[in-house]
Amino acid sequence: MIVTFLDIVIAGLLLGGLYALIAMGLSLQYGVARVLNISHGEFIMLGALTTWTLFQLHINPLVSIAICGPIIFVLGFLLHRTMFKRLLNTSESADIFVSNSMLASFGLMFIIQNLALMGWGPEIRGYTYLAVPVDLAGAVFSKNRLVTLGFAIAIGLAFYIFLARTRLGKAIRAAAQDPSTAGLMGVNINFMLALCFGFGAAMAAIAGVLISMCYPVHAVMGLEYALIAIIVVVLGGLGSIPGSFIGGFVLGLVGSIVTYFEPGLALAAYYAIFILLMLVRPQGIMGR
Amino acid sequence: MLEVSKINTFYGKAQALWDVSFKLKKKEIVAFVGANGAGKTTLINTISGILRPVSGSIKFLSKRIDGLAPHAIVEKGISHIPEGRRLFPEMSVRENLEMGAYLPRVWKQKEETLEHVYQLFPILKERGGQLARTLSGGEQQMLAIGRGLMSRPKLCIIDEPSNGLAPLLVREIFQITEGLRDRGIAILLIEQNVRQTLEIADRAYVLENGRVILAGEGKKLLKKELIKKAYLGL
Repeated sequence: MIVTFLDIVIAGLLLGGLYALIAMGLSLQYGVARVLNISHGEFIMLGALTTWTLFQLHINPLVSIAICGPIIFVLGFLLHRTMFKRLLNTSESADIFVSNSMLASFGLMFIIQNLALMGWGPEIRGYTYLAVPVDLAGAVFSKNRLVTLGFAIAIGLAFYIFLARTRLGKAIRAAAQDPSTAGLMGVNINFMLALCFGFGAAMAAIAGVLISMCYPVHAVMGLEYALIAIIVVVLGGLGSIPGSFIGGFVLGLVGSIVTYFEPGLALAAYYAIFILLMLVRPQGIMGR
Repeated sequence: MLEVSKINTFYGKAQALWDVSFKLKKKEIVAFVGANGAGKTTLINTISGILRPVSGSIKFLSKRIDGLAPHAIVEKGISHIPEGRRLFPEMSVRENLEMGAYLPRVWKQKEETLEHVYQLFPILKERGGQLARTLSGGEQQMLAIGRGLMSRPKLCIIDEPSNGLAPLLVREIFQITEGLRDRGIAILLIEQNVRQTLEIADRAYVLENGRVILAGEGKKLLKKELIKKAYLGL
């Protein structure tokens, strides 16, 4: 009984860590750059498939984190600088920009997906790394999933400290709360928006690297994760990065519990929670 | 120090400022007064870079600044304390002040600057860890001014500091403004509160519908018939 309970809780945390990571990236993009990035999942996919390719070249997936992260950061930064910045300048109001950027990211999703299909083909890929069993008080888990959790927590913590203590972190928080006034403090808002968008994409890519260690990957895997990320961001409270972190773990636990009773219904459960949330408490856990 | 020459600013197709010109020298308080919608905040936003003038020029310390982004203008030594304070609501008092010193050249000395600001507004030191949105109106205004001073500016633009404040606090704020001028900071003051503003302003301009209709020394303007009738209800 206890073992089963631990089984579920730890599985939930493992899943939750991943969800927290992908949600934090999206939360950063939405909170600062005000882009609800539907193509967020595609950056996860790029991280995952690139890691698979690098693994075929005998490169350790953990090393891939250091490779994929910066590359996707630059990609995200440039995408914002060119596409989303243009939309920002031509949108008549903030609300119009949010819907325009959402549509644009939708198109971006198809472009990236199809490029990936051309590059990697439609087959489902996978590799084995650190697939050794680890015994945790009777419950058995795969080492790679524990490493994933470790990274998710480490990145989450590092990011939190970065936001709370550093000059740039504070500037990001200020820009999220009042971009115009942040500009009056000397913050280069154009640069800041692109930077945050890039950071968000990089976090997605890193999540993709970690996902590829534990699960099979393929060119169209992105959308499912993007939707989960959106649900977590709303669950945690739009604009709250700590909220996304907590929300990720909450959803992970829910997923683990539902999977125990009825595997395959996890996704349906997420959507049900989303609908419930919209009806009962739209501002989420940490939302104001 | 600041030379604004015939600027015209639009909101889309609607013109908000018509050939507005004025000068501001070191160690003086220049005030712009006028009714709601006269264009005062538009003028300020044009100077600090939030808006771009369609024609005309703005020179600060002999260099053109019109067309520069806000963060570049603040780098030159102009601090804009916005209307409505615009504090960062979810950041603490201390963090708001720190953000005022965001520029690399002042970030290094921020502890020292913070001490100066705390001397000016001791209540801010007391409330250091509180979230900005939990402060009272007067405290928020003090925080806004303190934050504006953190960048060690040469020119401070203060937009309607008396808004929503009790008369006693308004007097205190104006006293502090005079103190800043005496310390060598040029002040550009925007206000709807005409009488008290004209009493402390070295020079003042009256803005109506985007145009300068009167200019002169503060105390002299107070005596003008037009002012008395239109703005003081006499």
